[in-house]
Amino acid sequence: MRLNTIEFLLQQSWEGVVRNGLVSLAAVANIAVALVVLGAIVLTGVNLQHMASLQAEAAVITVDLEDEADTAEIQAALLGRQQVKEAKFVGKDESLLKWAERIGLELPEPDPDRRVKLITELLGGNPLPDSLCVKPVDPQDIPAIAAEAKKIPGVAEVRYGEQVTEKLLTLARGTKISGLVMGLIMGAATLLIIGTTIRLTIYARRREIRIMQLVGATNWFIRIPFLLEGVFQGLAGALIAIIILLPAYSYAQGYIDRNLEFINLVYSTEVLAIFAFGLVACGLVFGAAGSALSLRRYLRVV
Amino acid sequence: MIHLQQVSVVYPNGTRALSNVDLHIERGEFAFITGASGSGKSTLLALVYRDIAPTEGKVIVDGQDIAKLPPRRVPYLRRKVSVVFQDFRLLPDKTIWENVGFALDVLGASRREKHHKVPLTLELVGLSSKAEDYPRELSAGEQQRVCIARSLVNMPPVLLADEPTGNLDPDMSWEIVQLLADIAGQGTTVVMATHDKRIVDRMGRRVVQLVQGMMVRDAKEGGRYDAP
Ligand SMILES: Nc1ncnc2c1ncn2[C@@H]1O[C@H](COP(=O)(O)OP(=O)(O)OP(=O)(O)O)[C@@H](O)[C@H]1O
Ligand SMILES: [Mg+2]
Repeated sequence: MRLNTIEFLLQQSWEGVVRNGLVSLAAVANIAVALVVLGAIVLTGVNLQHMASLQAEAAVITVDLEDEADTAEIQAALLGRQQVKEAKFVGKDESLLKWAERIGLELPEPDPDRRVKLITELLGGNPLPDSLCVKPVDPQDIPAIAAEAKKIPGVAEVRYGEQVTEKLLTLARGTKISGLVMGLIMGAATLLIIGTTIRLTIYARRREIRIMQLVGATNWFIRIPFLLEGVFQGLAGALIAIIILLPAYSYAQGYIDRNLEFINLVYSTEVLAIFAFGLVACGLVFGAAGSALSLRRYLRVV
Repeated sequence: MIHLQQVSVVYPNGTRALSNVDLHIERGEFAFITGASGSGKSTLLALVYRDIAPTEGKVIVDGQDIAKLPPRRVPYLRRKVSVVFQDFRLLPDKTIWENVGFALDVLGASRREKHHKVPLTLELVGLSSKAEDYPRELSAGEQQRVCIARSLVNMPPVLLADEPTGNLDPDMSWEIVQLLADIAGQGTTVVMATHDKRIVDRMGRRVVQLVQGMMVRDAKEGGRYDAP
């Protein structure tokens, strides 16, 4: 396209934005609000997912074995499932040592073997069973794997840290769904208001459009300024949303770091860059779609 | 250049605006379409710039049957057939220069092309000195000349004028018709719908008369408004 043509199209669309003044402003504000809400939901979802996966990485299933169980067979049965990544044997002595460490039992013995012996004597026997430490491929499958493991003969008991992981995952899922619903509502509202501004512009421009049609402008040429007008509004809204969201997020992140150490928010420049890019893309798509819908309805093409 | 063969137009509401019209206008010709109000003059012109399609018959412009022209081809027809109206249709917030340049902008012309053609066209219609004025600062006759300049700036082979003098006093009307005749003299086919008897008689050119959608007379050179 020629420079003159590009300049002409940009100028036409900019005139549309300016001419509609307050309504354009309302459209931009609406897009900004919609994107802030959507963005906040997305960020929350991303963080919940992130926390859940941190939890999940540590998440294992402990399968306690009966005394005379065939360890190799149970191990094979577990590993035979696709959801299981690893099933490591943990002897009762090893468990005993870990337990002792966890409760902070002070022992003068540095050698592990002797320590085990000492604790066993102290307790009058090792009450812990041998066990398998099972790691899932996907932490979502933990409850399913546990249920299956319980059915294997020779398995005494199955334990896992169900509460936290599952709750986080449920929360993340819920966020995704509510994000989708909010997204649809906000999206519809945004399309509507952009459509309205474009409709106003079409009305204000009806003489110009007629002249364009009479002197032989193609339909696309006539549409482009309107599409650009919508895109301008979408981009402006997205920029405002970014200006609000990113500093707010960075503030929240600092606050949580200082006060709630156990929560780790995602804070990589890469993720935030993708996020900002996504907002811009959303603004662009909404802007273009809003005006396209309005054009379809209100622009009488030849 | 323009050939209507057995053309009829019936509007969606049932009004029969043209009936079996046969009309042939050659390249570079100047022709008047006359007739009382409602006789179908505007309808006939609208067929040629494809604002409407004929209900029956063929409309051939520059060798192409446009009766079934698909919508996306219409803009390209309009580049060959431009139209001038009674009400000028200028953009009030653009200068005369910009109004004329607008017709080139929407065709994707380069800046250089625009700066070459706009002054030439303004000179042709005698408005070089008014280039920077706004439409409201011009007389009606001058505004009509701007409209003609806008129609001519991309050098179309056909110029249609639908009562271009309808809003003008006799002197201005005469000037405009002279200008259109000059344009025809340079090879453009000009068709003008009018019911201005004085102008038609004074010009003595081809006259096509419509009565209730029927072509009742086609007087070649030396035509008069009223049948002899
Ligand atoms: N869009 C339309 N829908 C229905 N009927 C129409 C339409 N346009 C014109 N007509 C009818 O068609 C007939 C011819 O109209 P047209 O405008 O061609 O006449 P005209 O000769 O140009 O008249 P005038 O001198 O008043 O401009 C008239 O009866 C008019 O009412
Ligand atoms: Mg008419």
